[in-house]
Amino acid sequence: MRLWDRWKMAFRALFARGVADARLDDELGFHLEQQIAENIAAGMSAEEARYAALRSFGNPALLREQSRSTWSWGGIEAFIHDARFVSLSIGRRPGFAFTVVGTLALGIGAAAAMFTVVDHVLLRPVPYLDADRLVTIQETDGSTRNWEAPWIDIDQWRVQSRSFSQIEFSGKMSGRNFLEGPDAALEVSGQRVSPGLFGMLGVAPALGSGFVSEFGKNAGAIMLSDTVWKEVFAGDRRILGKAVKINNDSYTVAGVMPPGFRYPAGISLVPQVWVPIELSSDERTRDTDKAMQFTAIARLRPGLNVEQARAEMLLVQKRLAAQYANDVLRHDHASLHVEIYAETLVGKDVRNALLALLAASGVLWLIASLNATNLFLARNTSQQRESAMRMALGASRWRLMQQTLVEGLILSGLAVLLGVGLAMASVRFLAHELSQTLPVPAPATLDEWVLLALAGLTVLTTLVATAGPALLAACTLVAPAIKQGGMQTGSSRRQNRMRGALVAGEIALSLTLIATCGLLLRTIYTLHHVPLGFRTDHIVVAHLSIPSYRFKGRNMTDSLYMPLLDRVQHLHGVESAGLMSEAPLAKTFVLHLELAMNGKTTHAYLKAVTPDLQKIFGFHMAAGRFFLPQDTAISQPVIVVNMAYARQHSPDPHNPLAILGYKLLSLIKGGPQMTIIGVIDDERQDKVAEPAVPEVELALPQITPESGFYQPVETVAMDLALRTDQPMAAIVPELRTVLKQASPELQNATITTMDQIVEDSYGSQRLAAHLLEIFGASALVLCMAGLYGLLAYVVSQRTRELGVRIALGASRGNLLWMVIRQAGVMLLAGLVIGAGLSFASGKLVARFLYGVSVHDGWTMVAAPALLVATGLLAAYLPARRAANTDPMEALRAE
Amino acid sequence: MGKPSDLVQGTLDLLILRTLRPEAMHGWAIAKRIQQISDEVLQVQQGSLYPALHRIEQQGWIKAKWQESETGRQAKFYALTAAGRKQLEAETANWNRLSAAINLVVREAS
Repeated sequence: MRLWDRWKMAFRALFARGVADARLDDELGFHLEQQIAENIAAGMSAEEARYAALRSFGNPALLREQSRSTWSWGGIEAFIHDARFVSLSIGRRPGFAFTVVGTLALGIGAAAAMFTVVDHVLLRPVPYLDADRLVTIQETDGSTRNWEAPWIDIDQWRVQSRSFSQIEFSGKMSGRNFLEGPDAALEVSGQRVSPGLFGMLGVAPALGSGFVSEFGKNAGAIMLSDTVWKEVFAGDRRILGKAVKINNDSYTVAGVMPPGFRYPAGISLVPQVWVPIELSSDERTRDTDKAMQFTAIARLRPGLNVEQARAEMLLVQKRLAAQYANDVLRHDHASLHVEIYAETLVGKDVRNALLALLAASGVLWLIASLNATNLFLARNTSQQRESAMRMALGASRWRLMQQTLVEGLILSGLAVLLGVGLAMASVRFLAHELSQTLPVPAPATLDEWVLLALAGLTVLTTLVATAGPALLAACTLVAPAIKQGGMQTGSSRRQNRMRGALVAGEIALSLTLIATCGLLLRTIYTLHHVPLGFRTDHIVVAHLSIPSYRFKGRNMTDSLYMPLLDRVQHLHGVESAGLMSEAPLAKTFVLHLELAMNGKTTHAYLKAVTPDLQKIFGFHMAAGRFFLPQDTAISQPVIVVNMAYARQHSPDPHNPLAILGYKLLSLIKGGPQMTIIGVIDDERQDKVAEPAVPEVELALPQITPESGFYQPVETVAMDLALRTDQPMAAIVPELRTVLKQASPELQNATITTMDQIVEDSYGSQRLAAHLLEIFGASALVLCMAGLYGLLAYVVSQRTRELGVRIALGASRGNLLWMVIRQAGVMLLAGLVIGAGLSFASGKLVARFLYGVSVHDGWTMVAAPALLVATGLLAAYLPARRAANTDPMEALRAE
Repeated sequence: MGKPSDLVQGTLDLLILRTLRPEAMHGWAIAKRIQQISDEVLQVQQGSLYPALHRIEQQGWIKAKWQESETGRQAKFYALTAAGRKQLEAETANWNRLSAAINLVVREAS
């Protein structure tokens, strides 16, 4: 047949099916007529002829179906037919549809939310071209410590290495940077970049032409990020070529980068700006005091992988390290870390946490799907008679299965829609917690990968939830199903056992989730109770970024800090106020001190503080005293250390406190050394779970501009802490007014409480615990629903039997026990399997636990107990109904 | 009395194509003709005939047209197409080979 005719047929089959149907009827009708005519001619009466013809004709409906099945598009027609039927049945029995959709939405929503986060953070964390080919190169001494490299080293890498098609570099502008806007100055993160960097990243400016890719051609230029452009300049397209001021230095705008672009990527909510690196002859040295140090980022040559590049670069670096001035430096720069850039952004523990949570959401999805399977099984059993009838009329088994599958597909589709809504809402809800732990801002939209995953999830859910029931429906034996009377003997024992097994499976999986959640909650609980070494209640903390450019040439101690402190102390409701470089556990600003003491080089944290901090935080002195108001710039320079430091450096190894009175460092070069006047009992500094690091504290009032410490300590950042009994809503506006008076940029400082800082420092554990709480609670609800559903069904099936039992003399207690026992069997089976699963999963989360063993007794008892209690609660109503069966009613009902 | 539903599906196709070679016919006539020529041995039931006809039509070996039949009523007449003729030759050759082979075996066995 010619192609044209074929197309005509297919077209007609699709769009003119009604006409084709009529034609088929005509054709068959004609055949029938001829048969009747023949019968009459053979001698039968008209009626006999007709009956004989009809009998020989067979089932007309089946005939029609068989003929139609040869037409094309049969599949789609069947699908549309099924879909219409499904929507009808949903309309008739909305309860079933709601339950299934709700159940699946819970599971799918959890899986979708986790997958969105994982996809965003792990699979595509950076919006650069071919981001998996970008690596960072850092010099190191071979351990985990690493440093940035001077230009002269990077130049050598460019010349000598064959592994990279391009090496670019960047560094941070010193101090905190403020962009002057029309209203107030906005804090920005100023990045110096090599001119070719954006080109290597493969991102073009959204506005303007950007930097010229050669050194020396971009004098005074600056690129703005989209956030800065929108917030400060209201998206004014005439911004190109205009002058902007950063810390009072003027720059010309060369372009604006597209929205969502960040370099360097990483945890930070401060908007970025970029200036080109201009290399002067000063830069051509390895002296870290003279030359800027940079972070290098490079693109791998096609066909090479990281290991090959690393091996080659190590050889290059060996030659290079020899050029350093002395042995220490040569040792320090002997090796390199070469790593994929995207992988450096996500800490290993965060990655593992995310993957574990993804697995947990998968478990929840499985529980939800099992629940849905149970619901389908129950529904199909009650429709057994209908299915048997359809098969008797000639439907094939596959056709029956199709209907259940289509129903499952449609309900899964609805569940996916609902689940995605849930997922987006929950991601937004948890945005704050996510932003504490994840290096990229929490995603708010879907992308292709996620949509693809969702489609796959829909299909998978359908298969899991409906394949079993569909098969069972298709395998019903026709005769018994039609013969049986009513619904009383609806499902076989085999079916009930299968449903019971599914419920037991649900219970097992839920136990795993709840037990893991329990372990994490215990960890958080333990973390909460680690003695921090200081008080955290009623303390308000403001993180200040210091606009030091406003105070050039002035003594900030006298012109900024002390007056600010004074004003804050006089606010209504403030008991005491103090300043310190960084509030404990805040991770805002850390100063590292390298000391050469007793011939060794050691490291310690450095902080500048004011005396009242002791009143605010209530920490304890192990020996000596803390700073007092009498410690000023003209009195004897004093210093305070912590126990960790004392233990490391005390002249008497058995008595750390013997360090008291020793001299250490001098504020001003050549000036008198500071005396150690106090030793603080250890506090937690970075992480609650980690022990104290050696720390050295200076008195802020003692630091003057002549001091070598002035610049690092006073010109970058400072935390302001105050103890108050006022609520946040009352104190924050007043605080901002005072800050604004001190300097307009300070009014936008982040203000939080010490309690919140401690909470945030728990990081990935808290996030994991919260999510698992949600998963665990959902699993519990699903289990309860599943158990209740099954028991209620069984009881309603056996009403007659229960009636007979009562009539024969069984007590109500007996019947109650019957139901409870059935529930108990499922619970027990589920708990046993679940215990095994929990052990296995406990090992997986062992790294997140703190102070809690994987076999924690408390959790091992509480989790099963919770499930048993829930199970019994779910069994209660059906059991009561069973016990209250009225025998007369039961026996009469049919 | 063997029913063509016992035969392999392809054989019914062969019978239909062969019957339609001389002239176009409607379904009833095809069944009658087959019955007649085979000496009442092969009686094609409607349940096999019409699905087969429609399948062959889909495959392009016969073409259908609605015409007035001998009784005056409209009926669907099927005619062989060029492709159908080729298919008929191929299937006839196949069948001859197959039946010859079976004959050999049956004669051998007896």
